[in-house]
Amino acid sequence: MVNTKLVAAVVIVIIAVAAVVAVWQFMPASDETIKIGLVAPLSIPVGQDMDRAAKMAAEEINADGGIYVESLGKRLKIEIVVADTETANPEVAPAEVTRVVDQGVDVLIGGFGSSATLAGQVYAIEQKVPYVITGASTHLVTRRGFLPDGHSLKIDDPEGMSYMFHYCTTVYHYSETVAHFFAEAMKPLLESEYGLTRNLRLAVLYRNDAYGQGVWDATKQFIEDDNLPIDIVAEVNYETTKTTFQTELTTVKNAEPDAVYVVDFTTNTAVIYTQGQTDVGLNSIYIAVECCEEPEFYTALGQYGDGQLLESKFASYADVDGEFYLPMMDTYVADYKAKYGQVPGMMGADTYDAFYIVKDAIERAGTLEKSAVRDAIESCDMDQMLIITQTGKIEFGTDEDNYHEIDPFTFVEQLYYDESIGECRPKVIWPATAPVVGDIKQADLVFPDNYEPGSP
Amino acid sequence: MFTKENLLKLIKNTKGRLALLAIAVSLVIPLLLSDNYMLHILTLIVIFTIYASSWNLLASSGQGSLGHAAFLGIGGFTSSLLAINLGIPPIVGIFLAATLSAAIGFLIGITCVRLKAWFLAMVTFGFSIIASTLFSEFDEVTHAILGFRTPPLLFSSRLPFYYFAVLISIACVAVLYFIMKSKMGLAFKAIHQNEAEARMIGLNTAKYKLYAFVLSTFFAGLSGAIYAHFQRYIHISIFSADNSFMPLMMSVIGGLGTIEGPVIGSVIMVFIDHFLINIDPFLNSALSPLFPAVSNVGPNIRLVGLGIFLVIVVILLPKGITSLLRKLYYYVRTEIIQSE
Amino acid sequence: MIDATILLWGVAIGSIYVLLATGLNLIFGVMKLVNFAHGELLMLGAYVSYSITTGLGLDVYLSIFVSMGVIALVGLGVERLAFRRVLGADKLNEIFVSLGLILIFDNVAVLIWGEDSKLLTSPFKGMGLHFGDVFLRYDLLIAFAVVVAILVGLLFLINKTKVGMAMRATSQKSQASMLMGINIEHIYIFTFMLGAVLAGAAGTLFGIIFPFNPYIGALPTIKTFAIIILGGLGSIKGAIVGGLLFGIAENLASATLGSIWGDAVAFALLIAVLILRPKGLFGEKGD
Repeated sequence: MVNTKLVAAVVIVIIAVAAVVAVWQFMPASDETIKIGLVAPLSIPVGQDMDRAAKMAAEEINADGGIYVESLGKRLKIEIVVADTETANPEVAPAEVTRVVDQGVDVLIGGFGSSATLAGQVYAIEQKVPYVITGASTHLVTRRGFLPDGHSLKIDDPEGMSYMFHYCTTVYHYSETVAHFFAEAMKPLLESEYGLTRNLRLAVLYRNDAYGQGVWDATKQFIEDDNLPIDIVAEVNYETTKTTFQTELTTVKNAEPDAVYVVDFTTNTAVIYTQGQTDVGLNSIYIAVECCEEPEFYTALGQYGDGQLLESKFASYADVDGEFYLPMMDTYVADYKAKYGQVPGMMGADTYDAFYIVKDAIERAGTLEKSAVRDAIESCDMDQMLIITQTGKIEFGTDEDNYHEIDPFTFVEQLYYDESIGECRPKVIWPATAPVVGDIKQADLVFPDNYEPGSP
Repeated sequence: MFTKENLLKLIKNTKGRLALLAIAVSLVIPLLLSDNYMLHILTLIVIFTIYASSWNLLASSGQGSLGHAAFLGIGGFTSSLLAINLGIPPIVGIFLAATLSAAIGFLIGITCVRLKAWFLAMVTFGFSIIASTLFSEFDEVTHAILGFRTPPLLFSSRLPFYYFAVLISIACVAVLYFIMKSKMGLAFKAIHQNEAEARMIGLNTAKYKLYAFVLSTFFAGLSGAIYAHFQRYIHISIFSADNSFMPLMMSVIGGLGTIEGPVIGSVIMVFIDHFLINIDPFLNSALSPLFPAVSNVGPNIRLVGLGIFLVIVVILLPKGITSLLRKLYYYVRTEIIQSE
Repeated sequence: MIDATILLWGVAIGSIYVLLATGLNLIFGVMKLVNFAHGELLMLGAYVSYSITTGLGLDVYLSIFVSMGVIALVGLGVERLAFRRVLGADKLNEIFVSLGLILIFDNVAVLIWGEDSKLLTSPFKGMGLHFGDVFLRYDLLIAFAVVVAILVGLLFLINKTKVGMAMRATSQKSQASMLMGINIEHIYIFTFMLGAVLAGAAGTLFGIIFPFNPYIGALPTIKTFAIIILGGLGSIKGAIVGGLLFGIAENLASATLGSIWGDAVAFALLIAVLILRPKGLFGEKGD
């Protein structure tokens, strides 16, 4: 009979599916490791840098025996579970964070891209999983609880939000450094070299996304609030799909700026520096922010970086014969190079530190219980690691205007072309000293050889 | 529609049985799962089923769209913005969103019914670019650039949401099925096969093409609205070309112009999207030394493989996976069952 | 602000579009094939030149010929292995195959050359003519000359040679031309390779003027489709006018309305033209 066969087949299929699912569900979960979820965009170089730095931190900690958990009376090794957000895609992030949280991670680390992080963190907030965010430029990732009612990003769950920590600079940190650098270092030099006493003429070129808009807003705000002698003479934003910029640079050139502030990631920033000088004749001084502190930026820039600027918080290229401004960098960069054959980027450094912050927190908490780990991260008081902070300590703020954020210190580098390697190398030029660390300055600001100031 | 007689008829024919089986499976599966991730994936499949089916309806009338993400996005943003600004409950909002999407679809359709299929495809692609630019330009209203958190649709937990999405999806697919079986569906088919001939036999082709466009954009907008409330986040990336090409890939790989094609296609493509990625670490550790230019070769090798697989599938099965299943079914019926 | 530099760069990207559009228009006209992976051939062309110039030290302008040759072979492979097998099925299947090919080509390029953006080094780097505020790179002048030479050659091939006549015959009625003793298979292969050759040349020129990465091909392809529709299917004149118009329009819009409007305005132009002239500017026949 046809029908009995059909029914039998259906029953068999259902049983098979159920069996597979059951086996999958009841696979013995191992309690023998501490699971740390790494949220990173593995399809782009930044994410791969985060992944490498995470592995390095975990291997170091594991080689040392792991993390001591008092309640279990033993040391547990770290197991990394990756939530791959591909190209920091906000549509993929929720599913991936859900996946690793459901696998039972004890803590989350990472997150790159503001929109992808804001979209992905929702499940972590719901499930109250401590999350040390190391790559989002918006300060909102920890402050969504404080937003006014009806704000489109508000999450009215103070307890869930209290599990979010931000170990990273935000658009406010770097915009403040850049704006003050122009006012305090470059303006005097324009005056002494070219006799220009007027305000500094600044052009801003930024990508049309959360990061670009955020930097643009914050820069305007600092210039206004701190009364800086800077006029913004051109503001150009462009689609994130753009790969060539002659038209945008022509607009900037026609505004005759003294300096050009470029807000993009590595590839486009290098293209803008290059096309500005070769195609449009915009022989100015360019500055970009720390997201460009990655090896591929130096490769792509070649000779066209000579004399140009970069704001940074982790200068992995600015060593003098292997010695950095920070002793810990000496070992980190050397170990990373030995392990992976390349210089580490900036995003990985935050991630690396975050593993140690988590280790410290779990050991102080004495348990893997999430609320206790959260409390311990909140009361973190470690010495600074790869990222310099204003107090020399890693401390997360608890007030509304710095909630669960650190207070990082950032600086400006100038690049010098090195013909023997065909790439530029940076030197720290401003400010002269960093809190606790002391002297960091390696050279004075000079104008590039082809520099032409803006209109008189 | 759902008289006892009709239901009996449904059980008696094979198609009906398969449909009921598919519905039964979709209702039972979540009971076997305990993790939210699988539920998330299943819900995505269900939502993309609506989206791909809406696209498939348009294609069945001989019109191509390469910019359906515009309607996905308009639906998603409309419902979400109505909810956060005016407090309109999402369950109402999703239908308002679908209606607005259909209204915009109507305006585009009415200006473009004279165009040939491939001209229309470019117009829709261009429209998705224009829509995306407008949404980012008016960011103060749309909050599209940073994106925002969308309110939940009736339920914030995943299991009820899944069942809700399944019900809506079944309803949509059923409606599309009846449309495709109706006189209108026959007219679509006639236009698809040869528009000039269809016009000669007295069919008002412009009218039917417009119907197809409006219906398709209605369901696309509906799926976009549900998608936004499901993801609990909406961002300008919803307008991406990937989202425009996705329903095409789902429909073609499943079986273009058939009712089950987009369903099969969305199961396959969503699974590929979310599970194939797990082989990346393996590929990377095995093949990394061969490609010194890249530090993480996993994603790239996976995507090359996926590309080759897709091309081969469509060369071997130009009418989609469903044609293979049909052949298998007939083989089983004629060769095995008959021989007894 | 409208200024000559912006027009100049509009024409520069426009001439790249022209090469892509004429090739694609031939393929569409003769084979009725929708190849959305055409831009990937441009991307590969740029990389072939990159390997030739960095590996063998060949002059970048001579590498155009190598790139045209290699991409012709790639085109042959693509036509034989993939498109040939779905030709005549639904147009959507052709798009689907194109999407598969895009995945393959993009990622193969990443695996071979990496993801970083590259630029071909021209012997005339940094050199050019100054006209007031406008700086005209020699590379741009050479690129314009190359594009014109290629187009002249192409028009000669199509209008004055036997194979060109066969192509035209095939494009008008493939049944009839088969009866006339034309081997359609061969014409298809020839046409596809010819389109690929143009894309290869466009790739090298693109790579000299603009930086490129493995993902550079997708957007130009779609714009190119818009251009051949704007210009009119099967019309080479339309492809040339449409290509230049599109390039200039997107740059002017970027400069006047703001950069994010570039693509949107270019497509709005396409839609406006189609509403007024459903068959494009120079289109006589539809498909």
